[in-house]
Amino acid sequence: MAAVHGDVHGHGHDDHHPTGIMRWVTTTNHKDIGSMYLWFSLTMFFTGGFLAMGIRAELFQPGIQILEPELFNSFTTLHGLIMVFGAIMPAFVGFANWQIPMMVGAPDMAFARMNNWSFWLLIPAALLLVSSFFVPGGAAAGGWTFYPPLSAQGGLGVDMMLFAVHILGASSIMGAINIITTVLNMRAPGMTLMKMPMFVWTWLITAYLLVLAMPVLAGVVTMLITDRHFGTSFFNAAGGGDPVLFQHIFWFFGHPEVYIMILPAFGIVSEIIPTFSRKPLFGYSSMVYATASIAILSCIVWAHHMFTAGMPTVGQLFFMYATMLIAVPTAVKVFNWTATMWKGEMTFETPMLFAIGFIFLFVIGGFSGVICAIVPIDIQVQDTYYVIAHFHYVLVSGALFALFGGAYYWLPKWTGHMYDETLGKWHFWLSMIFFNMAFFVQHFLGLAGMPRRIPDYALQFADFNMISSIGAFGFGLTQLLFVYIVIKCIRSKEPAPEKPWDGAKTLEWTHLPTPAPYHSFETPPVVK
Amino acid sequence: MSKEEKNTSGTFMQVAKAVLAAFMGIRKQSDLENDAANLKPAQVIIGGLIGATLFVISILVLVKIIVNLN
Ligand code: HEM
Ligand SMILES: [Cu+2]
Repeated sequence: MAAVHGDVHGHGHDDHHPTGIMRWVTTTNHKDIGSMYLWFSLTMFFTGGFLAMGIRAELFQPGIQILEPELFNSFTTLHGLIMVFGAIMPAFVGFANWQIPMMVGAPDMAFARMNNWSFWLLIPAALLLVSSFFVPGGAAAGGWTFYPPLSAQGGLGVDMMLFAVHILGASSIMGAINIITTVLNMRAPGMTLMKMPMFVWTWLITAYLLVLAMPVLAGVVTMLITDRHFGTSFFNAAGGGDPVLFQHIFWFFGHPEVYIMILPAFGIVSEIIPTFSRKPLFGYSSMVYATASIAILSCIVWAHHMFTAGMPTVGQLFFMYATMLIAVPTAVKVFNWTATMWKGEMTFETPMLFAIGFIFLFVIGGFSGVICAIVPIDIQVQDTYYVIAHFHYVLVSGALFALFGGAYYWLPKWTGHMYDETLGKWHFWLSMIFFNMAFFVQHFLGLAGMPRRIPDYALQFADFNMISSIGAFGFGLTQLLFVYIVIKCIRSKEPAPEKPWDGAKTLEWTHLPTPAPYHSFETPPVVK
Repeated sequence: MSKEEKNTSGTFMQVAKAVLAAFMGIRKQSDLENDAANLKPAQVIIGGLIGATLFVISILVLVKIIVNLN
């Protein structure tokens, strides 16, 4: 411990010296790195958003208007990859960097230099993904899940994508190790595990899931690369391999991955709801236990993504039951948030609006998930817009709404200025309306049989697609408002109140000034 | 860790209960504090893994029974 403290202190003086770009290139400060993660993910959010606008523009009407089918497929593929690996995951790591040291009473992250490296790895990966559109053959077009045989074919763009995924995975593993070490070794005296804020708990468990899942992804990517270039036949039936093997390995990573994207969101919501209800989190310990059990269970449900790939009945039933049971601890959390609000002295500032919107819409996504888990139904809706609707309810109105809520909640602490409450409310309500307009109708499209990942569709789907596209454009435009609000907040002259949220109980609000100083806790606070 | 002695006595049931509670996601605050005082992390983790294995086996058995019914 002493060594770590001394080390960070040592950096402290150097950190102030490099100026301009070098400050950011060489920084080992958790707040600088957190900010870079957040700006990076916002940039990738708009990059992925641009692709989404392209997809929805093409689908505005039946027929092919704007995007050639091959390019359309590249758009859907890169939209998914960029949003998952470039926007949502780095955004949560950005939150972790800013918040975890402050919330556990540590001076910085445990491995400050590795922290810098895990951020800067993201840049080449992002460049590889984006520039792959411009190489001969174009970007990867086999879907964000890059199943062979499509991903075994394809040109340079596929290799660039695979390499990018490798780099992003390495970055995530390092970030996760850093978070685990920080949480386990650098807590302030008195900050026992069971006193940690829920956000820290969810991130600790997420970090373990990352350490478990990302190497599996790295493995499957490596197998694909050797299949493509070194004559192996892991997934090539002609050489004795099996393409379904890919799906098993991919989803063994992939399902824990979806929980990696939602557990920290649970954490953020579990900070916001108590603050604005002015009550402690109902059933804190149940929440910790439920999160741990979700993490374990998430490793045994992967084949619910493969019900149509061919599987014995025993397998189908196993994965169906296991998947349906995982909804139980998830439902416990929803119950806990609701009970926290019950009879609380609630106020509805923007963070709270996003948190409540999260609960409301995440439940819809959870239910459609359980519906997808029922084998006879899933055989109908697999690969239709129903699945698209499901995972946008859990990822956009789940993960993304929680990120927005968290951003509004901590912006005063980060910047020292208050955001514009009126505009924040506009951002919430417009997002809420346009999101549902874009995605609720996709349930109907899916049930009516419209397949996903196609640039053209039959005439009977036209009306719902038009509604969905208008909603999507509205949602996209609304997010520009968020950028405006953030910039306005940073540039604002007026200092934020020391503690804008009277219900906040965590260390960053009770033990640190606003804005948070460059080095959080040079002497650790004592937690009673 | 003054309760070190207690670690050896009667903890199997306590681990089992803690793991079961975790799988359902429900645990009383007082029980939790007991767990936190008496259980070592390694016990909980191993207990969790055993619990997960049992969970998998029991679903498998259930599924086999159902499939054999017809
Ligand atoms: C109540 C919990 C949940 C259940 C029961 C559930 C169930 C399912 C099932 C059965 C599928 C496969 C559908 C198909 O391909 O036919 C699926 C797809 C998906 N789910 Fe969930 N899910 C749940 C929560 C989540 C969460 C929390 C996330 C992410 C934050 C998520 C993200 C996804 C994604 C991304 C896909 C589609 C992957 C793809 O094919 O591209 N799900 N879910
Ligand atoms: Cu899944």
